[in-house]
Amino acid sequence: MFQILKNFYHKLGSYPWFYKISGKVIPFVAVLSISLIVISSIWGLFFSPTDAVQGDVYRIIYFHVPAVSVSQVIYYSMSVAAAVFLIWRMKMAGVYIKSLAPIGAAFTFIGLLSGAIWGQPTWGTWWVWDARLTSTLVLFLFYLAIIGMQSTFASRKSADTAVSIITLVGVVNLPIVKKSVDWWNTLHQPASISISGESSISSEMLIPLLLSILGVYLFVFFTGLLFMRAEISTREQNKEWFKKLLSNN
Amino acid sequence: MIYFTKILKKEFLIYSRKSSSFISPVVFFLISISLYPIGISNDPDILKNLAPGLIWITVLLSTLISFQNIFSEDYEDGSIELLLASGQNLSLIVLIKIFVNWFFSCLPIIILSVFSVFLLYLPQEGLTPLIISLLIGTPTICLFGALAGALSLGKNSITGPALMLPLSLPVLILGTQAINYSLNDISFSSNILLLTAIFVFLLPIILFASVGALKLHFN
Repeated sequence: MFQILKNFYHKLGSYPWFYKISGKVIPFVAVLSISLIVISSIWGLFFSPTDAVQGDVYRIIYFHVPAVSVSQVIYYSMSVAAAVFLIWRMKMAGVYIKSLAPIGAAFTFIGLLSGAIWGQPTWGTWWVWDARLTSTLVLFLFYLAIIGMQSTFASRKSADTAVSIITLVGVVNLPIVKKSVDWWNTLHQPASISISGESSISSEMLIPLLLSILGVYLFVFFTGLLFMRAEISTREQNKEWFKKLLSNN
Repeated sequence: MIYFTKILKKEFLIYSRKSSSFISPVVFFLISISLYPIGISNDPDILKNLAPGLIWITVLLSTLISFQNIFSEDYEDGSIELLLASGQNLSLIVLIKIFVNWFFSCLPIIILSVFSVFLLYLPQEGLTPLIISLLIGTPTICLFGALAGALSLGKNSITGPALMLPLSLPVLILGTQAINYSLNDISFSSNILLLTAIFVFLLPIILFASVGALKLHFN
């Protein structure tokens, strides 16, 4: 088992192998993720029951929660990739960070925007300086810094290293930011879903929510693969294997 | 050890000969502090409440003026390259540079912030936590400044500040909270301890990261 994983890890470092495999995986992931998002949206918007307190407004949860949760997961996965890049110098990790940063920033933005639209009718304001909102905003700023850093170095390898350093420093600092804004101010409701223990949301609402979360995660997987393939093809456009691949098609 | 003392002396000499390195943050600080009453209100009651945050934000912004100084001149005249090639402990050299930068750009501001008692009507009991929190909080900000400066060497981009300010958020929150606590007769020692903890925790990480970032420029 360990050997298989190790082999997989080593193969993952190779651009041609990744390009070949991802090309095969992409159609399945695309169909699955988009159909899941469509199903969960229709289910959530039309068939799940109306909330007793918030009315129909709460239905934005099917966009808000997946976006915010995936935006954090993307950042943590990027920091793992950053460690991999700095320790083992695996060039694929650099491609991963570069491709996933814009997606993460986009989902953080969607999360902030949908939160603002949700907050307007329920809290009576578009924005509050609340702990969770602030730490999400800081996450967004980190994403922007990472994206901005990409263009400051001429050599690809230096840029990847610089970005990895920032990502790691950011991930060390994110819990500190989170805790310090927690003491500062909290208005946001606590998380409704928890993996261990009882979720504070009825199962009729929970199932479409979980489906939409799964759909968005798969969607990130799908777009991530697309972006990584695009990044690989720009980096490797003059390499022999890539030219061969193009001439074959 | 003698090597590092020499570097320390050299850094002190460079900064003390170049007056703009410590005058420009001070001037910036004084200008902004005197603009707040004009721009917001001259009512002592309003300013009194805003003073802790205003002072901290101004200190944070004035470090933005000076953080480029930590490495940029050494980078331009090539001495960073020699330091990298010297085989000495780079983290220690970076630490010395950060300390001297803090000494010349942050310490004068901290001393000047005493004036905020008159200018922004900060109540006198807020003065002790202000000075203590600035003394402990600004080194952490200088650490972030060093990292941002090392990464954006030779480039005049927004990435330095864009990296530094979100990182400094916890320091800003804990620092202003310490002052507000003492104004409301709550013990502020926990905030000071947390600020110290953040500094001690981040010191090795940031030094390590800054050395890595410096090396990137010489491949």
